[in-house]
Amino acid sequence: MKKINVLMLGWEFPPVVNGGLGIACLGLAKALSAIVNLSIIVPQASTEYLIEQMELIGLNQIDLQKLKTDLAAREVSVQTNFSDESIESISFIPVDFYPYENVSSEQQAVINKSIKRTVTENYIPKPSVTAEDLATFSGDLYGDDIWTKIQQYANVASKVASTKQFDLIHAHDWMTFAAGLQIKHESGKPLVLHIHSLETDRAGIGSRGGVFQLEQHAMNHADLIIPVSNYTASVIQHHYGINASKVAPVHNGVEKVETFKTEKPFPEKLVLFLGRLTGQKGPSYFLEIAHKVLQNYPNVRFVVAGTGDKLKGLIETSAYKQIGSRIHFTGFLDREKVYELLSMADVYCMPSVSEPFGISALEAAQFGVPCVISNQSGVAEVLPSALTADFWDISLMARNIFSLLKDEKLTNEVVTNTLKDLDNISWEHAAEQIVTLYQSRLGL
Amino acid sequence: MASVCLYFQVHQPFRLKEYSFFHIGRDYAYDNDTVNLQILNRVADKCYIPANNLLLNLIAKHKGAFKIAFSLSGVLLEQLQKARPDVINSFKALVDTGCVEILAETYYHTLAFHYSSEEFDRQVKLHADIVKATLGVKPTVFRNTELVYNNYLGTHIKNLGYKAILSEGTERVLGDRSANHVYKATSGLPLLLRNYKLTDDVAFRFQDKNWSEYPLTATKYCNWLQTEFSKGAETINLFMDFETFGEHQWADSGIFGFIEALPTELLAQNIQFLTPSETVKAYKAKDEVIVNDSISWADLERDLSAWRNNSMQYESLEKLYAFEQQVVAKNNPDLFHTWAKLQTSDHFYYMSTKHAGDGAVHSYFSPYKSPYDAYLYYMNILSDFEIRLNR
Repeated sequence: MKKINVLMLGWEFPPVVNGGLGIACLGLAKALSAIVNLSIIVPQASTEYLIEQMELIGLNQIDLQKLKTDLAAREVSVQTNFSDESIESISFIPVDFYPYENVSSEQQAVINKSIKRTVTENYIPKPSVTAEDLATFSGDLYGDDIWTKIQQYANVASKVASTKQFDLIHAHDWMTFAAGLQIKHESGKPLVLHIHSLETDRAGIGSRGGVFQLEQHAMNHADLIIPVSNYTASVIQHHYGINASKVAPVHNGVEKVETFKTEKPFPEKLVLFLGRLTGQKGPSYFLEIAHKVLQNYPNVRFVVAGTGDKLKGLIETSAYKQIGSRIHFTGFLDREKVYELLSMADVYCMPSVSEPFGISALEAAQFGVPCVISNQSGVAEVLPSALTADFWDISLMARNIFSLLKDEKLTNEVVTNTLKDLDNISWEHAAEQIVTLYQSRLGL
Repeated sequence: MASVCLYFQVHQPFRLKEYSFFHIGRDYAYDNDTVNLQILNRVADKCYIPANNLLLNLIAKHKGAFKIAFSLSGVLLEQLQKARPDVINSFKALVDTGCVEILAETYYHTLAFHYSSEEFDRQVKLHADIVKATLGVKPTVFRNTELVYNNYLGTHIKNLGYKAILSEGTERVLGDRSANHVYKATSGLPLLLRNYKLTDDVAFRFQDKNWSEYPLTATKYCNWLQTEFSKGAETINLFMDFETFGEHQWADSGIFGFIEALPTELLAQNIQFLTPSETVKAYKAKDEVIVNDSISWADLERDLSAWRNNSMQYESLEKLYAFEQQVVAKNNPDLFHTWAKLQTSDHFYYMSTKHAGDGAVHSYFSPYKSPYDAYLYYMNILSDFEIRLNR
């Protein structure tokens, strides 16, 4: 069978890693590149992460002269410089906004204004990519001017895309969705959105801001949506109102880690929390859980590894609860230190309030650490042997941890079964599922 | 009669390492030796040595009429013994003039009185021992850490046999009475209260170019003192950090010239210098001062809030003192010393999250990036200490 040509759009990609997104993109890209022809465009790339069989295009390293020559060579195909207004106008356009369908006259006025501006400023035949545009991709990928970065990414990536042959566009998370929409419009190729995280996860389930609108807008116009769990698929249907028929979850895989064990330099048990200290990850629930566990089982230490805007409040709260000598905040840790912690942990706890997947639980599982996971975490779907509770159910969470700390037989059972669960989880498996979806849903 | 009582506090803590979770169970050397030595050398060279030389000359010049008092914390004396015996010798030379009184305090510069009177007594005794060993004298007047004081301490100190105690002249306990007299505690113990306004003119405002009185000269300052005496002041108690000279107020601010000119000015106007023990002998106690809630010389609040205000400070103090019975039972001098060094009040001062002016003073003294870091490192150390205790 003919290999499918996939144009992938990524934002984080190692070495640029903020959360799980970059790691997931790398894992998936590696596995996919074995069975499809893969080109991936990211804002920043490093030659250290070049993968065989895969074309990795970092916009920070692009050869501007060559791009201009390539674009000039195929001037016929470039009719207009389409720019998806969703980003520019999103903050004041209602969520059902789309410039190419029936819209109210009021909306149309805004759209015309923004299109006019786009066209006058960026109008080609001459490609409008300048060295200055590319400089956007040299620093921090997030920050106050992320909307500008997204626009620049859409602008430059679509130019690059117009020089490529591909059968579909596969975009990872909202930062690349504008680019995805633009390339879909220009090329007529189907758009696949891969959902690793939603605004409703990051900013709370009731969130309906600009990012939410961009996500919803893109999902409405996508041909296929691949969330990383059934949990996220359900959020997409119920909170974003997207038709279930084009949503098909595929669970993440995990890189095999060289695991090891370290003897703890203290006699107490160790319960671990890993992750950014933001509301989404539920660190304040972890504190409550720790407090509860300590009341029944004092010989345990809790480590909170990670940093975030909740850090100061968490420190003060743990002092207020008088558990500060049992809760250790490490700040941000590199992989080596994270693995060291995993190698000595007795329990891994992930009380996330809304977690599309949660790859770190799979890493803990590989280290033979039994996991206690919230029901609001996608990873629980692939680790049926892990103990679970709702994130808000402090008592059950604490009971689960307490049981694992006390009951060696239970712990062994959970660890053995979790390792078996892992046998079914791999990026290769995820890649195969995705290609099957390309074929069955997009007719490729 | 009119007199001035000058007392300088000399203290440097054993600052702690940036002790992470990964140190626990693996590293039981908690002190940041590099930073401690660096600061000790800097302060010795910029302040202790030059200031002591100046004071020695002044005492000689004024033939016994210029008198001062020092209180040196045990943890400072211990550091000096190890690294800078020359500084000890220079203090000894001052003591040997007979014009310098040494005060008693807790060896570890702690808040122990608020947690355990046994531990407090032990530290007072240890301090007396090291003062005797290094400077050859036995203090008779007591000053508690950062002039922290309340009625109960006044009673306790009297029972220990001390002749007087020093504290802060705050309106909160004085009302409209002036700090410029000898007072007495509820136990009857003579009480010397600091004139914080005239002290801070030197200790805090001296080099502040935005201060309306800048620059401060010895003549101007002497006039201010005279105004107080004309209003009936008997003793003006100027109590400050010794590090004011050359460390907090830099040498190029003229602080050394100021202190050099001061005794000449004062003595010329018939203002005497008296040590604390001479002062309480010279004047009858004017009134009783009742202090139920502790006072101190720290921050605008002048209470315990510099060290015990937020949850981090409360918790770390309580966890630390909760180890007392275990530490005593272990009867291991090393563990005892380590535990007591962790009591040094500076550790809790660094955890203060107060803002504005006081916050700036806290962070000036702190070796850490933030009060939260100070707390986290400290609690990790306490965890390690607990593991050692239980071993």
